[in-house]
Parts: sequence; structure tokens; C-alpha cells
Amino acid sequence: MGPITKSQEVQKAAQDVRLRTLAKIPRVLDRFIYLSSMRDYNTGLYHHEGLASRYSPEVACEALADCHREAYRELLLCPLEELVNQMEAYIDSSHTPPRDFLSTWKELEPYRVAVPRVSEAFSADFLFSNFRVALAIVEDRLATPRRSREVA
Amino acid sequence: MIQVILFLILGAGFLVLLYLFAGRKNVRPEGGAEVLVQARQALNSLQTGLLPPELIVRVFAREDLEFVNSVGAPAVEALFLSERKRVALRWVAHVRKQVLSLKHFHSGQSRIYARLDARTEIALAFDFASLLIACRILQIVFYFRGPYAAPRMVRKAVGVAGEVCAVSQRCLAFLGPAKTGPVRNDSAGDSAAI
Repeated sequence: MGPITKSQEVQKAAQDVRLRTLAKIPRVLDRFIYLSSMRDYNTGLYHHEGLASRYSPEVACEALADCHREAYRELLLCPLEELVNQMEAYIDSSHTPPRDFLSTWKELEPYRVAVPRVSEAFSADFLFSNFRVALAIVEDRLATPRRSREVA
Repeated sequence: MIQVILFLILGAGFLVLLYLFAGRKNVRPEGGAEVLVQARQALNSLQTGLLPPELIVRVFAREDLEFVNSVGAPAVEALFLSERKRVALRWVAHVRKQVLSLKHFHSGQSRIYARLDARTEIALAFDFASLLIACRILQIVFYFRGPYAAPRMVRKAVGVAGEVCAVSQRCLAFLGPAKTGPVRNDSAGDSAAI
């Protein structure tokens, strides 16, 4: 058997990330946010100490970028209802008061900096649009019990 | 004297024409790389960003509309419809722009690099014309009647765009990495055979 090429190394490292880390994060929205948080804002490079020590910083970076693109693609093709459910679950798991979370996300739009580097402008715009609508639906669902009480 | 004046006017006219031609912008040299690069980028953009079937299905999915209607909040419905209308208009504008870029490549450069037979060229010209018209119609329909008004036309436009991409890919294939055979190790003596 010949020596392992860099591309094979990256695939192996990506599989490692999927099995060891991402398998424990069942929701794609959470995986997407987690993977984007691995990226340095200034350099655009992904960092993961454990993975870099097992492989190399370059291989770890490319493997994480691959996983990030996968999560992005999955989220992009997610039906709106599914995205709303994922967002509600994400808000629950964040331990932030939902109203604070919603106002922050509506104001700062943090998902804008969470997309992978090579994503097409159109697909990113479509995802942002879905996020805006999903936030509006979650906000409406939060307000609905209060509205019902007011009507009662 | 009159003849001299006429010649002078004619000469001045030619000078003005020469000045105008020399000052033209967006003049591309024959066989220049810029058009090739633009065509390659347009093709990539269409194939990976604008025409993947699963993305088109998602953008124009009625199930999203039905879900939003089931929420029963007029403000959310209005937001959703305006967002999807904007996205649909943006999609069709992007497709049109990239198709125009491919059309420029085919009308000016492709015959230098790819030998297409007359039938393919005619079919391609027809596809470009119908696609550009379809894009314009879709823009009008989306603008006035929303993103869900012409699903069959969207499917048709995506199909024709896919055919245009397939022909363009064949024409631009030479830009890909060269495919060489395995290096043979049958060199004899001091000469190398590859």
C-alpha cells in the first residue's frame, strides 16, 4: 500500500471529526454554529488542538472546513419547518431568555458570519432569508400564548 | 479649393473615428483569457450555486408556504412572501447574468477553442434565446404574481440552462487539468520514453 496522500489524510481527519465530535451534536444548526466557531475571524482558518496534534494543523483545518461546508449544505436544504424546530431547540439549549436571544439574533444577525468561505452568494442569501423568517415564526410562537391570554 | 476643404473634412472625420475607436472601453482581444475565465466562473456558478436541483426544489417549495400559512400570522406570511419573492428575483437575475456571460463566450470565442457542428451551434443559439426570454418572463411573473406562480416555467428554464451548461462544459474542457497517461518505465539506454 502506498503512502497516504494529503487528500486522504483530510478525509480521514474529517471522518474522525464526524465520529468523535459531530455525532454527539444531533441538530445540524448546532453543528453549523459549532464548526463556524472553530474558525478564526481574522485568518479564516479553522483550529482544533486535538485534531491538529493527531494530524497536522493544515489537515485539521481542511477537515473542519469540509465538515463546515457539509453542515451548511444540510442546513440550506432544510425545510423551513425543520429550521424553526431546530432554532427553538437551539434557543432552549443556549440557556438564554428566548426574547433576549431573538432580539440579539434579529439585530446582529450572527448567522451572517457563520457561513463557510466558499459559499455562493445566492445560497448564502437564501439561508439568511430563511433565518429571518424562522426567527419571525419563533417570535410569533412566543407571543401567541400572550395574545391568547389577552383575547381571553 | 473646395476639393481641399472636402479632403480636410474627410480627414478630420477619419481622425475623429480613429479617436473614438481607440477610446472604446470593454474591447476584448481575440482569444483573450478574460472571456474564458468569465465563462468558466459563470459555468461554475450555474452548476454549483444556481442550478442544483435540490436547491431549486427548496427555493420554490410549496411546503414552506403551507407551513407558514399554518402558523396563522399575517405579518409572518407577508414577510415570508416578500423574502421568497426577493430570493426568486435574485435567483433569476443571477441565472440571466451567468447565461449572458456564457453567450458572450460562445458568440465570440468558442469557435476558436471548440469545434461545434452547425446543428449544435444552431440548437445552442436557440437555447440561449429561449432561456434569456424565459428569464425575462420569470422576472415579470415573480414581480407581479410572486415566486410560486410559474413552477413549470422554472423547471423548463432549469432544464434548458442545464443543456447550455453541458455544451459549455465540453467547450471549456480544455481549461481543466491535462489528463496524461501513466509514465512508462521502458526507457532504453540513455533515451527517455514517456
